[in-house]
Amino acid sequence: MPESSYIPWIIKYRPKSLSDYINQEEAKTILLNWLKAWDKGSPAKRAVLLYGPPGVGKTSLVEAISKEMNCEVIETNASDFRRREDIEKRIKPAATKMSLSGKKRLILIDEVDGLSGTADKGGIETMLELTSITKHPIIMTANNPFHPDLKPLRDASLLIELKKLNQRDVVKLLKGICEKEKIFCEDEALKIIHTKNEGDLRASINDLQNLGLSFGKVTASLVNELIYYRDREVNPFDTLRNIFTSKYAWQSKLAVSHSQVDIDTLIEWLSENIPVQLTEPEDMYLAFQALSRADIYRGRMKRTQNYDLLTYISEMVGPAISLSRKKTKFKWIKYEFPKKIRMMSETKKARESLNKAAAKIAKVTHCSRETVKSEYIPMLRALYKVNKTLATQIMEGLKLEEDEIKVIVGKSKESTENTEPSSTGPMNAEESLRKFETSTKKMGTRARKKRSQ
Amino acid sequence: MICLSSSDMHLLWAEKYRPKSLDDIVNQEDIVVRLKKFVEEKNVPHMLFTGPPGTGKTTAALAFAHDLYGESYQQYILEMNASDERGIDDIRTKVKEFARARVVGSVPFKLIILDEADNMTSDAQQALRRMMENFTATSRFILIANYGSKIIEPIQSRAALFRFVPLSKELVVQRLKWIASKEKVEYDERALEVIYEICEGDMRRAINLLQSSSAIGKVTVDAVYKVMGLAHPKEIREMVENALEGKFDVARERLRKLMIEYGLSGVDIIKQVHREIFSPEIQLSEEQRVLIADYTGEILYRMVEGADDEIQMSSFLAWLVLLGRRTSQE
Repeated sequence: MPESSYIPWIIKYRPKSLSDYINQEEAKTILLNWLKAWDKGSPAKRAVLLYGPPGVGKTSLVEAISKEMNCEVIETNASDFRRREDIEKRIKPAATKMSLSGKKRLILIDEVDGLSGTADKGGIETMLELTSITKHPIIMTANNPFHPDLKPLRDASLLIELKKLNQRDVVKLLKGICEKEKIFCEDEALKIIHTKNEGDLRASINDLQNLGLSFGKVTASLVNELIYYRDREVNPFDTLRNIFTSKYAWQSKLAVSHSQVDIDTLIEWLSENIPVQLTEPEDMYLAFQALSRADIYRGRMKRTQNYDLLTYISEMVGPAISLSRKKTKFKWIKYEFPKKIRMMSETKKARESLNKAAAKIAKVTHCSRETVKSEYIPMLRALYKVNKTLATQIMEGLKLEEDEIKVIVGKSKESTENTEPSSTGPMNAEESLRKFETSTKKMGTRARKKRSQ
Repeated sequence: MICLSSSDMHLLWAEKYRPKSLDDIVNQEDIVVRLKKFVEEKNVPHMLFTGPPGTGKTTAALAFAHDLYGESYQQYILEMNASDERGIDDIRTKVKEFARARVVGSVPFKLIILDEADNMTSDAQQALRRMMENFTATSRFILIANYGSKIIEPIQSRAALFRFVPLSKELVVQRLKWIASKEKVEYDERALEVIYEICEGDMRRAINLLQSSSAIGKVTVDAVYKVMGLAHPKEIREMVENALEGKFDVARERLRKLMIEYGLSGVDIIKQVHREIFSPEIQLSEEQRVLIADYTGEILYRMVEGADDEIQMSSFLAWLVLLGRRTSQE
């Protein structure tokens, strides 16, 4: 295979100039006029908010325009930290100073709706401040500009919408790619690709490349069989099903990249459901080996902050698990919500009491909380079973409070009465999905890096 | 710092009978001699204490501080446990604050005792090394570690190294007898030997076990095993047995109970599994024991590298299920 086939086609066939850029004539005109207005001093609104569904060319439009107008682009996207300090350090100087070369400059803030409340603290406020003092045009992009948090930014910006791409233009473009790659394709197949991707050009090109490189041709029957309908973010139930039924590595990789939940949560879902789906011990063992590898990459990534490792995690979580199913026949089963996440939230109070107790004992005994949990607490628990009075005396001597004593001797209401039945009892899918949505919101999505490509 | 009033002080024997002064320390003679010399000269280098748990490292550090500064030594020392601090920045902040205040008294420096220093990453240790240099004018560090090899070389070369060795059976039994007589506890000689065998040279565990066994009455071999059984969650053995029987779900239920309710770390659990598998009470072929021992080592390593103990433990259980299946097919 020629070396070029390893380059993602969405990069290889990215529009090189405005004339390559298809559709969106209206948006193009508004944006160009606004940029031209800068030549006569700052316009009324110094920022543009470019919005539209994924894969319709928001970032590509900015790139094409900047090439056309020969300006440099200072870019930040959701994979960067965008707290107040980060923006003030990286973006503010670029926005408020003139460039050395005298070249025109564009500030591109990609995926502003990805600004996370906690991880990117103060990000929106700082951005807002920038829109009033910037000396260079600021272009922001978003899938959903109508999020309440974005209201101030929305008011300060000129809103430009990019629409879903129409079938005729997408098919024409895909066909052009197939010709250049010398891949046979049926028009019908390209139409289905467009439909299944709901006008998302990036996803369409990705699908085209996956099929084209795997089979050397793109036919309607292949597309029908192998390309999922993409409602972009796939809920964990379907993501799991897609992973367990994937025959090809790329299929499984796609399943992971379209997961609605982040990779940490997905790992929990898999851990819960591997034994349910893969009932043959060999297969279950292989799948857990893959999960174990994924976790090791995750540990290294967290320790070294080397986010390049993310792709290896996804590959262990996706393809490696798909290929673990060797003996087990696929069965349609109802997946379960990860019990661990539930147990963690249900036992939160008890765990807090235990930690408080451990911290107190650790101070008195000059050892770590972990040592206390593995040595002193089991000892006190045993002591309580054989001699309640003495054990209580010692614990009171250690200034432990009632809740702390209870949790040590295993009488915490929360831990004994609640968790047992709920951790075995089934939960209906709707309830679990609702619970999961609230829990994932809390868990944060920083690990959800740029997944679009 | 929690201060107990002297009347109800130290209900835990391990604390009550912790040697206060270097003179009270019965083992590690070479170390005690050298430490006493430092006290005499009122001059101390940075020190690194290494050795297995329960061999007297923390005790020696505290006794040293006691002898150096006198009864009110607490105000001259900063005690930290690297496993409990959230990061090197927290440690730096505490050290800075502590080192800033002037030292009054005859000793021109303060002591910073950092326990479980081998739990720090090498990056954090590099930062620690710089701290040690920056604060030399006002402070000395005593670093305590189980494994000296996990302390980076630049720190090792800047510190006087003290190696603590496990206590001999004779010393442990002797000490237990002494405590028993002080507490007016009856005992069988053989029971104390059993305690030693269970705890090996770990004095803290030995004293804890003596104390909990004595809560039943006379310390007998049976009493020792009984409290041992009560202290170690039976879930650990049951978890292994369930997995070998192919009941992954039940095994994992137990695993989660251990981790989430009992608050045990994956490392704790895998170490206890390792102890369990050589016990005659668990039904395993000799070959299985060895296979499992090998694999617990692998899992221990993976937990150090990985992010989530529960995932690694689940993969261990899946392996056990497979092992159980293969054995039953043979």
